[in-house]
Amino acid sequence: MSSKFQYDLVALVIFALVVAFGVPAVMNYDGFELNTFARYLALAIVSMALSLSWGTAGLLNLGQAATFGMGSYAMAMHLKLRASDGLPDFMAWNNVETLPWVWVPFESLTFTLLAGLLVPAFIGGLIAIFMFRARIAGVFVAIITLAFLVAFQLLFINQQGHTGGQNGLTGLAQMSLFGWIVDPYSMGFYNLVAGCLVVALAFGVYLTHSKFGLILRAIREDADRARFFGYNVANYQTLVFCISAALAGWAGMLYTLVLEFASPTYMSVSFSLAIVIWCAVGGRESVIAAAFGAIVVNMLEGRLSDVFVEGWHLILGVIFVLVVMFMPRGIYGLLSESLQKLRGIGRPRDHRDAETFPNT
Amino acid sequence: MDVIANQLFAGLSMASILLMIALGLAIIYGAMGVINLAHGEFVMLGAYATWALQTYAGIGILPALPFVFISVAAVGWIVEKVVVQNLYHRPLDTILATWGIGIILQQAVRLGVGAESRFVKGPDLLSGNTEIGPLIMSNYRLFVIVFSMAVLAATWMLMTRTEFGMKLRAVIQNRAISECYGIEAKRIYSVTFAYGAGLAGLAGALITPLFSTIPTMGTGLVVDAFLVVIVGGLGSLIGSAAASVLIGEATAIFSIVINDTLGRIAVLAGIILLIRFRPRGLFPTETRR
Repeated sequence: MSSKFQYDLVALVIFALVVAFGVPAVMNYDGFELNTFARYLALAIVSMALSLSWGTAGLLNLGQAATFGMGSYAMAMHLKLRASDGLPDFMAWNNVETLPWVWVPFESLTFTLLAGLLVPAFIGGLIAIFMFRARIAGVFVAIITLAFLVAFQLLFINQQGHTGGQNGLTGLAQMSLFGWIVDPYSMGFYNLVAGCLVVALAFGVYLTHSKFGLILRAIREDADRARFFGYNVANYQTLVFCISAALAGWAGMLYTLVLEFASPTYMSVSFSLAIVIWCAVGGRESVIAAAFGAIVVNMLEGRLSDVFVEGWHLILGVIFVLVVMFMPRGIYGLLSESLQKLRGIGRPRDHRDAETFPNT
Repeated sequence: MDVIANQLFAGLSMASILLMIALGLAIIYGAMGVINLAHGEFVMLGAYATWALQTYAGIGILPALPFVFISVAAVGWIVEKVVVQNLYHRPLDTILATWGIGIILQQAVRLGVGAESRFVKGPDLLSGNTEIGPLIMSNYRLFVIVFSMAVLAATWMLMTRTEFGMKLRAVIQNRAISECYGIEAKRIYSVTFAYGAGLAGLAGALITPLFSTIPTMGTGLVVDAFLVVIVGGLGSLIGSAAASVLIGEATAIFSIVINDTLGRIAVLAGIILLIRFRPRGLFPTETRR
């Protein structure tokens, strides 16, 4: 067991304890505050999903919001069907007379939960196969995923009768999980979201420290060399894209539960770039840091928008530019560098510990 | 037949606007490998500068063009000096940093001028239409088409017929060697970035009578312009011109065959396919790297 793995495990346990016990205590178990924080936690999952593909494998996916949106709409479709008897109200307004076949299986919660994970994974996988078989890399991955995101959002808004168009899906029922009616302002719901995040993080930590994660890092450093070693680079890249997409879909489902509606703005370019920002601020190399980044930036957004009603976006932009310029590895990089310096005082510097990060 | 002819003209008009925006982006991307996501905000600044000059100084669009070019280029120059210059060795991080700059510029305008849409009057000289048979062409749009071609020609001259252009091409080919020959690569980069930003400002000034001027107008434009640059090929001026005509016309044709939204989706799908099979674009420039 490497020392890095130990650090990550310790960080994960501390993170889990703080999120599960510390935060609710600070929030005084207030329903509204807990709901707000549960929103941050759901966004932490999508940020952490991006760090898997971007930080570990070096694939900058600017279309992460598309897979997030798929998950959130899967959940919203289920809750919409439960809220309406027969046809959802917006379909009648759009002269859709019978329930479209895509909607029918979403009556079942089991199907919805599976679809929320597997549909994004499948579509993410298709794009990945399409790109990585042709050895597309670097900037072009970012551009193709960005173009896909724009096209996908347009398509979603265009199919108003099936998706609610620009208005999204509103007036949703509350989910009932094994007879438990999920109230988004309750402690139980907060624990559900926090549990999901911790499970996702544990999975992410395991993945990055497994052999699979090692090969992904090898591909990030030098794809050709990994290829010469006999690894099928495209398959590894595709798999990490699928996993990242499924996690984003999971986050999307939770996000719909938190906010009680789904909107096409979840699939906008600015939302997708916001995810990248959270991931970069936290540190893309570590899943825990990426999740932490999402929580910090969103909390900051919340606080700043209370204090500076007009200018908070401006301040956020300035902070972000400063982070990119002076902390390219995010909060994580800052921590690990200072940790290394501390250790360097005690004994001669061990160069094998110094981790290089590529310029991709 | 009338519909098709008019639609072709609309496509050409759209292509000329795309070209104006993409040209600056292509130079910046081609020369420095910087993906400038703040480019849309430079367009927006150009539009607001035109609005301000017309509203407070009574200067029309055409006389305002030089002022707009210089002021937006100055903003670009400052952005390059303060932020972009430190990131040349980390190209993917420039995407993030310039996006942050875009947010800052957008919010600064929103705070300073307000979020409501602004109106700019087109020049009286160019009001009215030219009609050739069933084909009705707005004079202003015709002017934009001609102007964009003139800008393309001027940029091409700058790149190939001046000392500055020669130095720039040398730096693109090999920065280290050209620095050994006494070319100040840093200065060349700053000027190039400023020139690209100035072109975006010009584009912003010219589209004010055609688009509504709002702080968020740049975000949509930059994605389109960037696709033009990628399709055209890394840093190729002719490629950008060809790609903007292709994308403009394809959007116009698809939008009558299917509908506006689906047409745009079809164009995006086409672009994705093109990048997949020709990642270096339609007209890749031959450079030794």
